[in-house]
Amino acid sequence: MATQDSSPVDSSQRLDKDTREKLVTAVRHTILLTWSFVVLFPLYWLVSMSLKPPGQANSLPPDWIFLPTVYNYIQLVQQGDFLAAFANSLFMVSASVILVLLIGVPAAYVLSRYDIPMERDVLVWILSSRMLPPIAVVIPFFVIFQSLNLFDTRIGMILMYVSINLSLVVWVMKAFFDGIPETLEEAARVDGATQFQGFRKVVLPAAKPGIFSVAIISFIFAWIELLFGLVLTSFKAVPVTLFVYSFIGSRSIEWSMLAAASTAMIVPIVVFLIAVNKYLAAGLSFGVVIKE
Amino acid sequence: MSTPTKTETTNDTALGSLRDVWNDYLPYWFMAPMVLVMVMITFFPGAYDLYLALIEEATLNVFQADFAGLANFRTAFTRGGAFHSFVVTITVVVSALFLETLLGFVLAALVAGVESERTKSFYRVLFIVPMAVAPVSMATIGRIMLNSEIGVIPFVINTMTPFAAPNFLSDIPLLTVILLDTWNWTPFMFIIFYAGLSSVPDTLVEASRVDGAPLWRRYVHVIIPYMKPVVFVATLIRLIDLFRTFGVVYGLTQGGPGTATQLVSINIYEQMFINNQITVAAAIAIVYLVVVVALCNIIIAKVGFEGVWD
Repeated sequence: MATQDSSPVDSSQRLDKDTREKLVTAVRHTILLTWSFVVLFPLYWLVSMSLKPPGQANSLPPDWIFLPTVYNYIQLVQQGDFLAAFANSLFMVSASVILVLLIGVPAAYVLSRYDIPMERDVLVWILSSRMLPPIAVVIPFFVIFQSLNLFDTRIGMILMYVSINLSLVVWVMKAFFDGIPETLEEAARVDGATQFQGFRKVVLPAAKPGIFSVAIISFIFAWIELLFGLVLTSFKAVPVTLFVYSFIGSRSIEWSMLAAASTAMIVPIVVFLIAVNKYLAAGLSFGVVIKE
Repeated sequence: MSTPTKTETTNDTALGSLRDVWNDYLPYWFMAPMVLVMVMITFFPGAYDLYLALIEEATLNVFQADFAGLANFRTAFTRGGAFHSFVVTITVVVSALFLETLLGFVLAALVAGVESERTKSFYRVLFIVPMAVAPVSMATIGRIMLNSEIGVIPFVINTMTPFAAPNFLSDIPLLTVILLDTWNWTPFMFIIFYAGLSSVPDTLVEASRVDGAPLWRRYVHVIIPYMKPVVFVATLIRLIDLFRTFGVVYGLTQGGPGTATQLVSINIYEQMFINNQITVAAAIAIVYLVVVVALCNIIIAKVGFEGVWD
């Protein structure tokens, strides 16, 4: 549809503004609701399975109406170490996100603002840490961890989570810093601020949307990580993903327990998302305001 | 890009000079921790894999290892199925990347345009949630819902449409993997694109609206060029992550039926833990690393320097 006001050709066929806006809104919500359904249906299925008594979980035609029970969750908690691993993961993953932001964000800032020799190669090198498949990485790390006494420690796992996310933080944040005009800090520096103050008080607030989205993504990547936990921990630093994995036995799968564990694993992310959502929105508007 | 400008301070105290050292060498302080971590996580695993790929049999004592030349690489490509796994991987990577980028952008643009702030934040949270489903759980959900005997999706297709449901895991395993990955990882593109879209200055969009530019043109000429770095980075990171897809496929099909969904990462896993050939696994990993690094370099050289990095 060519709807430019300057072209008289289409003006007769043009829908009036109100109708068009309504149409756009209708199409918009149709697509968004369709995707919501695509997202929600498997999630609904997972959650409803976790709330059905084991025998009912897979009946066909499905029991759309059922009496929810927390039986599976009670089983899960009683099975012992699930809660401990859950708390363990929560601690390790949060610590790793804070650490990776502290390391990655300043580095991304430098890469965005200064002339780094061989900048492109440095960036590709950073990204290359993500290119070796985890399976190929895990054996060397097993060797390092044994010799540094990091095997089955929380610190070791936190470092692994940092290693998963560092390249992501640096690359995404560099792109965001590139989008923030340099005139902002120059103005601050003219006003007498040091470089560090310019970074902390002017650039960081403007980069908030980027920092929050990268924090969420890093949290998720560490939270769902399985392989490193499988190989590099045995008892003390076990992450919660191992529990989900343990329900996929060699012969049979305990569907209901698995559904309960998987549902429980989604909860912290949703809580984190809802908590950050407010700041995300606030950060977004601030970013726009400061640019004008 | 500017060069560091020296801040002038007249402070002569010890604390002042300490502050000078902090400020004058700011870029170095900012880079140092990252470089340290990067050295640790790239050089050792890479070197160790290269060493494993070049020896005959993995021994605990590094000095007793017999070097095998390129024999492991030959084994990988003759009997190891490495070539096939590269073809499968590229099929999955290209299709899933296309679907996820397109869907992620369209959804981000649609959500960004929602009027009500509450509805907007509802969609924002909801659309990110699939990413929170761990690949292992994801695979299991897939197996439950797609199973031709107990699955709800074949059941719905069979009872509510005139078509017979295919057996998702044996008739169209690759498509199933691609669609599940799209469900799982479109949120990644969505969240980065959404943040990118939100950083486009309102004044810029407003100006083009006043000029009477139609919606698509506003995107093509104003919004997308502005957020090009973000689009580029998100796509590149997702590309690399797609190359290492493991959990979903392992949980869903274990590479099968036959070798139909045997991705490179699955192949490496099988060589390592099932065939017990760590050296062959390392050889595949090295080839894979070279291919991905080369690919990224080409992409960055072709796309990256036209307005993205400078």
